[in-house]
Amino acid sequence: MAYITGPDVVKYACTCGLLKPITHLYFCRYCTQIRCSFCVCHEIDSNFCGKCSENIPSSEARLKKNRCGNCYVCPSCQQDLSTRIASKGSANPEEAKSTPKKMYYLLCQFCRWSSRDVGIPDQSTVTGGWPKRENVHANRLQELVDSYKAIILASKKHQQDKEKKKRVKCLSYTDRTGVTAAAIRKRLGLPADMTHPMLKNRPKNPEPAKAKSEVEDLPDSIFTEPLNLAEIMSIEQRLLQPEQQPTTVDKLFPVHKQLSIKRSLRCRSCEHNVSKPEYNPNSVKFKIQLFAYYIIPEIRIVTVEPLRSGKTSELIVKFTNPTQHQTTITFFELDLDEVESVVTEEVAEVAESFEQSLYLQEKQQLSLPSLGSLSQPSSLLASRTPSITVKPRRIKEDLNCKIGIPESSFILLPRDDAAEYDDSGDSHNIQDDPKLVKWRKSNKAFIRLYVTPNEDLPLNSEVTCGFVMQHIYTNTITSKVENKEPQQYNHKVKVFLTLGNSVGCD
Amino acid sequence: MMSRNNIKIFPGAMVCEESKLRGDITIGSGTIVHPSAVIIAEAGPIIIGDWCLIEEQVKIVHRLPFDQQSNENSQPVLIIGSNNVFEVDCIVEAPKIGNNNVFESKCFVGNKVTISNGCTIGAGCKITDEQILPENVIIFGVNCQMREGLDRPGPQTLQMETLSKMLPNYHHIKKPNMKKE
Amino acid sequence: MPIYESLSSDKLSVVLDIGAAYTKFGFTGEFSPRSIITSEVLCSKTKKLRRIWDYESAEDLYDLLVDFIHVIFFKYALLSPKDKPVIIVESLLCPTTFRETLAKVLFYHYEMSMMFILPSHLVCLASLAIDSAMVVDVGYKEAVVIPICYSFPVVKAWQALPLGGEAIHNNLRTLLSSSNTGIQDLPESTLENIKVRCCFVTKKYRADQLGSAKPEIATCPDVKYPIGGAEHMTVTGKVRERAFELLYEEDNDHLCLSTMILDALLQVDRDLRQKLMGNIVLIGGSVMVPGFKARLKEELEMQLKNNRYSKLNISTIAFHSLPCKENYAAFLGGALYGATELLNMKSLTRETYFKENRLPDWINFKENVHCA
Repeated sequence: MAYITGPDVVKYACTCGLLKPITHLYFCRYCTQIRCSFCVCHEIDSNFCGKCSENIPSSEARLKKNRCGNCYVCPSCQQDLSTRIASKGSANPEEAKSTPKKMYYLLCQFCRWSSRDVGIPDQSTVTGGWPKRENVHANRLQELVDSYKAIILASKKHQQDKEKKKRVKCLSYTDRTGVTAAAIRKRLGLPADMTHPMLKNRPKNPEPAKAKSEVEDLPDSIFTEPLNLAEIMSIEQRLLQPEQQPTTVDKLFPVHKQLSIKRSLRCRSCEHNVSKPEYNPNSVKFKIQLFAYYIIPEIRIVTVEPLRSGKTSELIVKFTNPTQHQTTITFFELDLDEVESVVTEEVAEVAESFEQSLYLQEKQQLSLPSLGSLSQPSSLLASRTPSITVKPRRIKEDLNCKIGIPESSFILLPRDDAAEYDDSGDSHNIQDDPKLVKWRKSNKAFIRLYVTPNEDLPLNSEVTCGFVMQHIYTNTITSKVENKEPQQYNHKVKVFLTLGNSVGCD
Repeated sequence: MMSRNNIKIFPGAMVCEESKLRGDITIGSGTIVHPSAVIIAEAGPIIIGDWCLIEEQVKIVHRLPFDQQSNENSQPVLIIGSNNVFEVDCIVEAPKIGNNNVFESKCFVGNKVTISNGCTIGAGCKITDEQILPENVIIFGVNCQMREGLDRPGPQTLQMETLSKMLPNYHHIKKPNMKKE
Repeated sequence: MPIYESLSSDKLSVVLDIGAAYTKFGFTGEFSPRSIITSEVLCSKTKKLRRIWDYESAEDLYDLLVDFIHVIFFKYALLSPKDKPVIIVESLLCPTTFRETLAKVLFYHYEMSMMFILPSHLVCLASLAIDSAMVVDVGYKEAVVIPICYSFPVVKAWQALPLGGEAIHNNLRTLLSSSNTGIQDLPESTLENIKVRCCFVTKKYRADQLGSAKPEIATCPDVKYPIGGAEHMTVTGKVRERAFELLYEEDNDHLCLSTMILDALLQVDRDLRQKLMGNIVLIGGSVMVPGFKARLKEELEMQLKNNRYSKLNISTIAFHSLPCKENYAAFLGGALYGATELLNMKSLTRETYFKENRLPDWINFKENVHCA
């Protein structure tokens, strides 16, 4: 699996125009399109704490400011703090024989910072009511927020009243009946509405802050006393606690651990999930995982002859069929200027500039017509407004090498896990074009292609070639539900190979 | 240069037979030396105090800085205090080590660094700049950040007790050749 | 009822202040940012950190911002951005490319419902409950002075100079290299830490003395600053005191921080000048260094005695102290504004943006016609 960590030599073009290795791509079964993390809608599924693996409901997470209530990180080095037990004898000498009380303190195993360093007393419970630092300005700021809110609300109300009055002037029932509002008020025994509503309960403006002409001067000790670097915090340590931003070591307090999330990914054009994790934070499995790696044939470079500009070299690539269905691979010439027919049916013009590439596609019906009856329940979708689809970009990749497109196509057998243990040899009976297929075994085939780097290619430059691979995608969603024959589509993928650097003549 | 080995082991020390000891080395009582630990007294004798824990693949080398090597007559002694912990695969060349220090896994201490007491050299930290570490200093992280601790790191009593029970079951232990003072 | 309010989801909206060095992120109605992170993203191609503001083109910036906003929402805010409002605090001098691209990213890529754009110089006054002040923002790239009069930024009086964290770091690098060798390639993060841990703004008479050939005063103690475990460098007392001097030294055009403030003042109506000088508000991360305010006052007083500014007739100079740390003052203003109904009343909605396909801006003639 060298390509997972190694350089991305085989890249597939996503529908949105970005090039990514197949492990980074998704495949939406409903649109039969490739998607990638850039062109899907990310959503937060669940919050959890990475230390205690506790699932935290989103409302609680919001209340706790997206931090775990029980876990802390070290204010000095940001590693997780662990709770340590310190047994402490009773302060009362008469009870000295009684069991020592367990006390807890926090310790960082990495930099040995402990809650005792800053004089936080040991706590008697594990979770501990570790003291929090209050914002000294909180009261004043809360006052400000409240009064601002009131002022804005009042002015909004005032505006609405104004509008209402205008409307009343145009059409009033009381005018028609000849009874004025004042008369009704009188009849109902209400006091006359004399004062202006704006003046009546006009919110008070907050007390403005006063500026001071005396400013805090530098302490004289700064010029004479040596600086102890260990006591002064670095900028990272300060910004870890944005409210206090401690400058000296005695002001460090344990920081609640930031929560992590599980994400689900949703196709932006059909609103179906392409990836949805399981709820349990300990599980690494998925409920939905439409990864391209499981659907689209995987291509790996096996060997390539030394590349010389203008000379043809043999290239052997391996195709692997990851699906349970037989597929046929056909090659086509790659044309970067070509508008992909499948994607851009409704978009007429080619995106020429960045401005235009953001032109919105009109939102069509939520589900694709062909699979309409099988889309997710509409109630699920009704709660969200449909996504907007951004027009695909032009693929940015310089091709400097021609590839000979073979005219014949070849078959890839379905994946069979049992075949791995079958030593009886290949029993397939496929009429292959021997020029194209070099060798095959179970769901894999080694294909011989010919590449010719451009004539004007300078020495030692990276050679990139590309082609369009068409494979047959078998849609299994319909067959499962309605016992129909699985539908088959021809799906085209643009593939780019980075073949290495060109060499000189020998 | 390498003279005869002269290993002095005080009673109570547990020095595994497979450990590599070169030169004039004195090991105090209670100290545990793991099988593949390496202690090389190249420039002069090494005296290791009591209750030190020297784990697997630790390298303690007594080697003078380059500029002091010319002086052949002097035989400086590397004195390592008590209750020091040398964790797996650390390399220590310090010319002087006090008490209660912890050298975490894969750390490196150069021969210009003098260690006082209660210091912790974090895992993977490489300290070579000429300096004397003050007491209770903790060095951690990729950039070798430094901070002052409140007190000395606690002794590894439990671990050492277990080791002193376990090690003789699986390894040959060198016999102490010194009498208790 | 703070608990009830924080429970209801729609009350919490993200407030963003994307600075040149650090981005302040948090929620409306809260008094401090949730986190202050560097405005950098990991480039997927080169695997190196790239500053967002070092963009090459609008297209490049679009990709950088997509990555950056993703990190903010999914690592820190833990909120799905779709159909949520966002409050952006930005400088009035923010480049059009940046604003337009940010709007595009937020509306097209993240499909946010509303964008509430607030000018940083104005909103930072919300935490003080004052409506007129001389606002001095010393950030990373530049220092910008804009007077605010009765809640209106007097934009025509703006003054800006490239005096900020970046300039200080470069100055520090030059100063350090004279006493230490081979530190030219010191990473900026190390320089920043040397700055915040060792350096301070010294007093005027000391600065004059240190600048002269034969100082008659003793400099403050040297600091031995370790760099990794293998080397160290000496930060001399002189460097510690002089690192910030370039903010106060007049350049070739006789401009510096203090003259910027007074030049801005000259552009303002006569009767407002004393009021503004009695209400100076300092914001931005670079003003947090010890001694900054005191020195600025000294400098202002000295400049006022000069012929250049004597006609200003200023009797008192007074500074406000903010109820927060200066580096997130603008964020706090945004959080206060965003907590009110104004968010729903004055925001730019996605529908309007799609219809108009542009971002309202004060320099745009269309907005100004509307105002009149």
